[in-house]
Amino acid sequence: MDENKIVKTDEVAPANAIKLGKKHRGIESLKSTYGRLFVLHWEIGLILFFVVPLIKSLYFAFCDLSFGDEGYEYQFAGLTHFKYAINEDPEYVDRLLGTLASSAGSLPVIVILSLILALLLNQKFKGRLFFRALYFLPVIIASGVVITHLFSSTSSELSSSGVSDSFASNMITADEILGWLSLPPKVIEGFSGLLNNIFNLVWNCGIQIVLFISGMQSIPDSLYEVSKVEGATKWEEFWFITLPMLSRTLILVIIFTMVELVTDKNNDIMSLAYQLMQHGATNFGKASAMLWIYFGIVSVIMALLMFAYNALFLKRWDTGGRS
Amino acid sequence: MTNIITNIKDFFLRFKNASSETRYKMVLKGTSVMTSLFRYVVLIAIGYIVLYPLFYMISSSIRTGESFYDPSIVWITSDVTMENFQIAYKLMHYTEALLNTVVYELIAAFIQIISCAFVAYGLARFEFKEKKILTMFMFLLILVPSQMMIIPIVTTYSKLDVLGVLGLIDTLTGIDLRVNILGSVLTFYLPALFGVGIRAGIIIYIYVQFFKGLPKELEEASWIDGAGPLKTFLRIALPSSGVVIMTVTVFSVIWHWNDFYLSSMYLHAEQWPLAVRLGELANDDVLKTVGIPEYGANFPQSIAIVMAGCLMFVVPVLIMYMILQKNFVKSIDRVGITG
Repeated sequence: MDENKIVKTDEVAPANAIKLGKKHRGIESLKSTYGRLFVLHWEIGLILFFVVPLIKSLYFAFCDLSFGDEGYEYQFAGLTHFKYAINEDPEYVDRLLGTLASSAGSLPVIVILSLILALLLNQKFKGRLFFRALYFLPVIIASGVVITHLFSSTSSELSSSGVSDSFASNMITADEILGWLSLPPKVIEGFSGLLNNIFNLVWNCGIQIVLFISGMQSIPDSLYEVSKVEGATKWEEFWFITLPMLSRTLILVIIFTMVELVTDKNNDIMSLAYQLMQHGATNFGKASAMLWIYFGIVSVIMALLMFAYNALFLKRWDTGGRS
Repeated sequence: MTNIITNIKDFFLRFKNASSETRYKMVLKGTSVMTSLFRYVVLIAIGYIVLYPLFYMISSSIRTGESFYDPSIVWITSDVTMENFQIAYKLMHYTEALLNTVVYELIAAFIQIISCAFVAYGLARFEFKEKKILTMFMFLLILVPSQMMIIPIVTTYSKLDVLGVLGLIDTLTGIDLRVNILGSVLTFYLPALFGVGIRAGIIIYIYVQFFKGLPKELEEASWIDGAGPLKTFLRIALPSSGVVIMTVTVFSVIWHWNDFYLSSMYLHAEQWPLAVRLGELANDDVLKTVGIPEYGANFPQSIAIVMAGCLMFVVPVLIMYMILQKNFVKSIDRVGITG
């Protein structure tokens, strides 16, 4: 009797195991179905409101556009617009390279500056709420009409009309500060270029600071408690806890900053293209071609950046979401 | 002065006579004082840059036109006037425009926050074949500005179609079911609902990065307990991501609040939200209605009016942020529990 029982359970066990295995695979495929359900509405939206218009706008780059009675009409023009942009337009290639270079220069400065500011704002100190609200101002002001108005009030019409007080003239300029330090003129020249940019750079940091702070707040306190017990210095804490735990936020901020810089409508390329677009439909194809070349290059750079970041840092830092 | 010097002397004497342990404590205290000093210096110095435009807006919005020519006035004029605010209020059709912002933009912002959360959870937590392609499209959505696709988008909205099916019905039967949604709330609600609204790409990406960082164990436990994916998402994942939801809410609201381009493309003049009204405020034709041209004798007052308008545009969002910030602090505590 006893032996029989044992045999029976032995028989049952492998059968169960197979069943479990099957069920396990079932869960995986079920899970992927659930995943698809979560993104289903987005897939529809992407096709209707993004992919189709995107392909149409790519097609415009190959067309001559003109506005007729019923909306716009287009004629296929082949690669002429692309050829025009690269070979004939006197400014395009220079502007393209210039924009890419200046974006590449500002990117690390903005990311590091906002990381430092976020670190300073995230610790406990008196007036923290006040300073957080203060550093939130650029988010509200810099991404809209307000900043355009502010800068248009600095325009030359102002100074020529005899107005003593304008947006720029009230600001203490970098030259003044450097003048007080009485440095040699060449040093001043080098610094003032950088410092005069600080206004722009700081104004581009708002959203990045908020992102970094919320990333830092998602780091569990227990990690810092452990490091305190182990006797780590603040410096070690930053390099071994804060920065690795921020790895996802960091790449998010890098990508966001890059897109902001690249699509800034005041940069050389975008302003050139938008000006062309506004000068009648005939130039729309040219402008589209210019933008498509530009965004093609940018997306290749972005992909390379993501790949490099994943290979170099994320694999090393990634804790798999474990806290 | 002598008092300070004796204090410093006293400090050094105490430091000299102290045991090594108290010395260590004193050094630690010294460094912490130095770091907090450093923090305040940096924050205030850069804070000046940040605050400067706000100061400028306030300072120039309370001026009369003539005072702009007076070089002796630096920040605050002696003849403070509120007239500019009244004019800006009238020119911007403030209450009407504010209502439009709420109806067209803010509701869309909230729809977007919800729909993007679903998309991001799907991308962050589940594995399926198309995920790589979808992720690629997410980055394209982030990168490509709406200006680039505006003509195809407007034509799509003017005859809303589902993959050409309705158009086919039209050619076959002659019944045109395609509707023109330009100038209606749908131009904002529909993309927001489908997760492709204003800056939807970056919102999804923010969500994805934070969802990936959430501890998986809780969700796995909820799966084992028999909760479905939707329940797990709503009951486990969302409550423990308060920080992200707050962040995304703030961004989405502000980007919609600031949206100038799309609403000026989609909407008629009487539907314009605050951002478009503010953009038009500097327009010569608008200023002429109160007898102030953009260039000319009264030119400085036009700056004052525009700045008053800017201030009235910024203040509601600032108040909203102040209120939300308290919730920011609350949501941190929540994360502490789950982490």
